[in-house]
Amino acid sequence: MPSQTLTRAETRRILRAPGRQELAPERWARLLRTRDLALGVGVPLLLAVLWQVACDAGWIDRRLYPSPVDIVRSAWDMWQRDSLWPDLLASLRRTGLGYVIGSAVGALFGVAMGLWRPIRAALDPLLNALYTVPKLALLPVFLTVFGFGELPVVALIAVTVFFFIWISTMSAMLAVPAGYREAGVTLNLSTWQMFRHVMLPAALPEIFVGLRIAAGVSVLILVGVEFVLGGNGLGHVIEQGRTTLVLGQTYVGIVVVALVGLVFSMVVQLIGRLLMPWNRSGSVIRQL
Amino acid sequence: MPTETAAILAEGVRRDFGAVSGLGPLDLTIDDGEFVCVVGPSGCGKSTFLRIVAGILRPTAGEVTIATRGDGKVPLSMVFQDHGIYPWKTVEQNVRFALEVNGFGRAEARRRTDHWLGQLGLAEFRTAYPSTLSGGMRQRVGIARAFALDPEILLMDEPFAALDAQLRQVLQEELLGLWQRDRRTVVFVTHSLEEAILLGDRVVVMSARPGRVVRSTEVPFERPRAAAVRDSAAFADLKAQLWDCLRHEVDAYLATVTGGTDA
Repeated sequence: MPSQTLTRAETRRILRAPGRQELAPERWARLLRTRDLALGVGVPLLLAVLWQVACDAGWIDRRLYPSPVDIVRSAWDMWQRDSLWPDLLASLRRTGLGYVIGSAVGALFGVAMGLWRPIRAALDPLLNALYTVPKLALLPVFLTVFGFGELPVVALIAVTVFFFIWISTMSAMLAVPAGYREAGVTLNLSTWQMFRHVMLPAALPEIFVGLRIAAGVSVLILVGVEFVLGGNGLGHVIEQGRTTLVLGQTYVGIVVVALVGLVFSMVVQLIGRLLMPWNRSGSVIRQL
Repeated sequence: MPTETAAILAEGVRRDFGAVSGLGPLDLTIDDGEFVCVVGPSGCGKSTFLRIVAGILRPTAGEVTIATRGDGKVPLSMVFQDHGIYPWKTVEQNVRFALEVNGFGRAEARRRTDHWLGQLGLAEFRTAYPSTLSGGMRQRVGIARAFALDPEILLMDEPFAALDAQLRQVLQEELLGLWQRDRRTVVFVTHSLEEAILLGDRVVVMSARPGRVVRSTEVPFERPRAAAVRDSAAFADLKAQLWDCLRHEVDAYLATVTGGTDA
């Protein structure tokens, strides 16, 4: 659209015009969704195919590194023999229980320490010191305290999760902008109301960052402990496959662990979304 | 008076937000070297228009053509209502960084930074972080950054809105002086008619949402203009005229806001 006023000695024009996004917003949104999905599924698939090709071509020793097809076959066999489900279930129970307990206690400590300075002063150095101790190193202690069985595993996961949630909750509480609290004061909020309506919602996004990190770490610890203790569980499946040279089983275990981690973090993300409807766009938790 | 620098031509510009029509269709021509003030009721899309010109947002329909000399000068820079300066950079870094990323050499960037921090009374705060400054000083950092870039077109989105009345007046006068010494195209969005009349060559009144141009009035006071024009009868007269026009739109805006679901 040439015009009356743009005929001077200019040499460069800048045009601001609608792009595809503006001209066909629905199609654009659909395109983005499709692309995201295609990339999310396509990239892992592509890597699996490459791996398969490398195995088939003999670039990789199949006996040491089974191909994706071999792994799927192993998984199917194990499923048929009913030898995967009980281990998966045992692992899920341990992680779930440890995660919930650790998160609850961690959040409690985080809130208390974030809100009350004396408690923070009393516990901060101690917890910081303990935080750096590798939790797996505590296993012997836990075995002594809780005996063999489920309890030490659950406890170890809970302790690990605790530290992540404690730190993220405490720092989230401390980072709540003063303006929110000041407005609350003028609204005559009680301590509980201030917590429920101001501090908690303000801190929630950061707490959920901790929850997502802890979800991954809890699976990490789970597998480590099951490695050492044996008996059952996904870690045991992996370790047993290695010692008995049934490497297909080991890889099935690894894949299942990865899937558990994926589903776990997706569930945490979903809960976060449901709990924080105001936090829809551009939030940290959404981009994680 | 520069006559061959830049101009902005908006034709049928619209912007929808979801199902809500936020702006336009808006037609507006801005000559080079012209200082145009845009006023309008809340939510009429005046900031949206500025953001479209700035390239932050694209129009849903229509287009804006910006003609520039293209001689290596920065074509556009913008002063934001909420400063738009970075808390992790000092006052000086905020300005110098903008220059360096825009291709100014180190020495030149330093020289311009010094000059503009001085002009805006920020010299002694150069190493301070924005969080330690008052709102007015932060805004001046934003202004210093935009001016230091020496753009062909300067976009200002209610730059003084968050300031107290005294500081606002001082900065208006500073801007008036700066512009008269060193003229360029300015699009200045404001809520204040007085500000618009004091600063602008022309005042454009926009309608309630979706904003259109309902009136475009040349400001008759000659340049260089002094802040004292505020006290003249002609000033009050023009203000009353424009207010008549604007009030009508504000009432329309209030009707949509208080009139329930009709957006």
